[in-house]
Amino acid sequence: MTQSDATVYIVDDDSAIRDALTLMLEQEGYLVRLFESAEDFLAAYKSEQFGCAIIDIRMSGMSGMQLQEVICERNILLPVIFLSGHGTIQMTVKAMKAKAVDFLTKPVSAEKLLNSVRMAVSESGRILTESARYRNASLLLAGLTERERDVLAEAVQGHSNKEIARHLNISHRTVEIHKSRIMQKTGALNLLDLARIALEGSTLIN
Amino acid sequence: MELISGLSFQTLFDVSPDAMLLSDESGLIVLANPAALTLFRYTKEDMCKLKVEALMPVRHREYHKHYRKAYIHKPEARSMSNGRALIALRSDGQELTLDISLTPLKTNEQLCTLAIFYPTDRRRVAEEAYRASEERLKLATKAADLAIFDFDSNRNVLHWDEDMRLLWGAESTDSISNKRFSTVIHPEDRKARQSALDNAIDPKGNGEYNSEYRVINPSDGSEQWVSAVGRMHFEDGHATRLVGVARNITRQKVFEDKLRKQRNENEILFKEQVAAQTISAIAHEINQPLTAISAYSEVALRAMKVGGIYPDNLKRALEGCVHQAQRAGNSLHELLSFLNKSNLVREVFDLNRTVKEALTIAKDDGYGGFYPELQLEKKMPNVIGNKTQVQKVIVNLIRNAVEAMQGIGIDDSKVMITVQTHKSINLAHLLVKDNGPGLDVETQKHIFEPFFTTKPTGIGMGLSISRALIEANGGELWFEPNATKGATFHFTLPFAT
Repeated sequence: MTQSDATVYIVDDDSAIRDALTLMLEQEGYLVRLFESAEDFLAAYKSEQFGCAIIDIRMSGMSGMQLQEVICERNILLPVIFLSGHGTIQMTVKAMKAKAVDFLTKPVSAEKLLNSVRMAVSESGRILTESARYRNASLLLAGLTERERDVLAEAVQGHSNKEIARHLNISHRTVEIHKSRIMQKTGALNLLDLARIALEGSTLIN
Repeated sequence: MELISGLSFQTLFDVSPDAMLLSDESGLIVLANPAALTLFRYTKEDMCKLKVEALMPVRHREYHKHYRKAYIHKPEARSMSNGRALIALRSDGQELTLDISLTPLKTNEQLCTLAIFYPTDRRRVAEEAYRASEERLKLATKAADLAIFDFDSNRNVLHWDEDMRLLWGAESTDSISNKRFSTVIHPEDRKARQSALDNAIDPKGNGEYNSEYRVINPSDGSEQWVSAVGRMHFEDGHATRLVGVARNITRQKVFEDKLRKQRNENEILFKEQVAAQTISAIAHEINQPLTAISAYSEVALRAMKVGGIYPDNLKRALEGCVHQAQRAGNSLHELLSFLNKSNLVREVFDLNRTVKEALTIAKDDGYGGFYPELQLEKKMPNVIGNKTQVQKVIVNLIRNAVEAMQGIGIDDSKVMITVQTHKSINLAHLLVKDNGPGLDVETQKHIFEPFFTTKPTGIGMGLSISRALIEANGGELWFEPNATKGATFHFTLPFAT
């Protein structure tokens, strides 16, 4: 995933601005996709794309801020850069709290915009890697029985087999059997590796 | 002695000029003297069949029966009415107002009562009625929270009641000179109050006195609003006496002030919001093409520096710049022509009347602390234009004048409005002149520019809009400093013919 593989989604109802930004971004080697409304973007977007979105705040129909809310709700992992005529402080704070990468004021210099796009694209790469790991770990953890998950939860907290046996009210030997099955199913190399998998897929563990 | 002892009760009874009746315990009339027969217009036979209740109006009879029984238990010689006049009934139904005295007479068989009737003392009754009416008035004024004053305009002295004195800070005299009375009135209100008084004194006027002013209590410095209403009385075409009532309206005034302040604040807020939204819309219209132009130019610039752009794209970027610059220009033109048109409805109207209406609006808006002086050219032809807009401009000029004067604490804020025909050109000419601080050179330069203001809460659109409105109505608006102090704003409007 290099910068030139990234797609920049431009959501702006002003055709001149879409056109000018397209030229600017293509000049830098980005792929560009254009949308003249938030609704069009949402209809066309398929999950987990590498790149970022440049969104105009003031649009007819759904506004930029509303679009960001939907993006968060639908768990779309695309970093957002806002473009606004005059951003108020409240607006900026709200956008940044909702994890916007940047909040830029029109007219924006190429330097500022391209800088933000680069940041957003690397953020996108990071998010996608993390997400892949999470999915992977989740998949591995999904094969465990409920009892095995209990043992895993105890083990990654650093408890000894003896302690685990006492906590779960089972025999020392049973703990050993569960543990070897867990290592087998997750393919973890050692306890440290198991802890990593457990953390990445942490939502599955009680 | 012989002679005297020979006089019987019967003789005295019959010759008495006062009407007399003798009644028994049951209230039956047993004897009536000729004076009584004359007074009540009965024959002796008829009268001696009656009970005493028959000699009084039906409405008093029942009560009298109880009264009579009580008297028999405790008989004594006394007046029946305790100073009040009583009403008796003549045989023909006529009611008589009388004083009655009662005397118990013990005979062998029973207790009789001698009643003697006297014509009522009219003066006493009149005094009684007057006292009652005074009492009523006092109670009513107290209930209505009214104080009473009586101004003798010949001697320039004011008689006042206790309540009025309290408002003025408890002077204990019954009267006060007008001059002294005025010293307690708030300096800003003295002039208005005096002119209301002068109007009432004017024999050509209707004599009505109506004034609201503040009173500063000399003992504790507290400020109260007073509303005084009265009517002047004239004798031979000269004002003599102004009687009226005064009421403490401080609470009402405080409430009104609060309401007005709130309304003004809301209006300012609203205007600011309208201005903010308009500006924001204009900014958006300009900012969009600027954004595109900026991006296009940077693309072109970079292409020239680094190379590696298709000639088609370079052309596209530069064409984009041109189009977007034109787009910005067009937006501005559209906006300006929208502002200029704005559905101007023209009508024929009387400028003098519009000035009076504008004055009322300005006063209602809480710009009441000034004295308007009108110089209206009578029989001036009607003008043509949008009346509402012209009215707004006049209100705006009055407000500016009043605010300028109040800003430097002039209590004699006089706004002179003149309506005349412009001498050199055939136009209606209106002048609003104040005696405020005037405008310094720097302010004069910018006074008609949008967003220029010298007021802490203004947004600086009033005069620039006013000028635009007058120009849209075919006139001109300008400013001239006064020779002595203050400023005068002028505008012209075309006549309808």
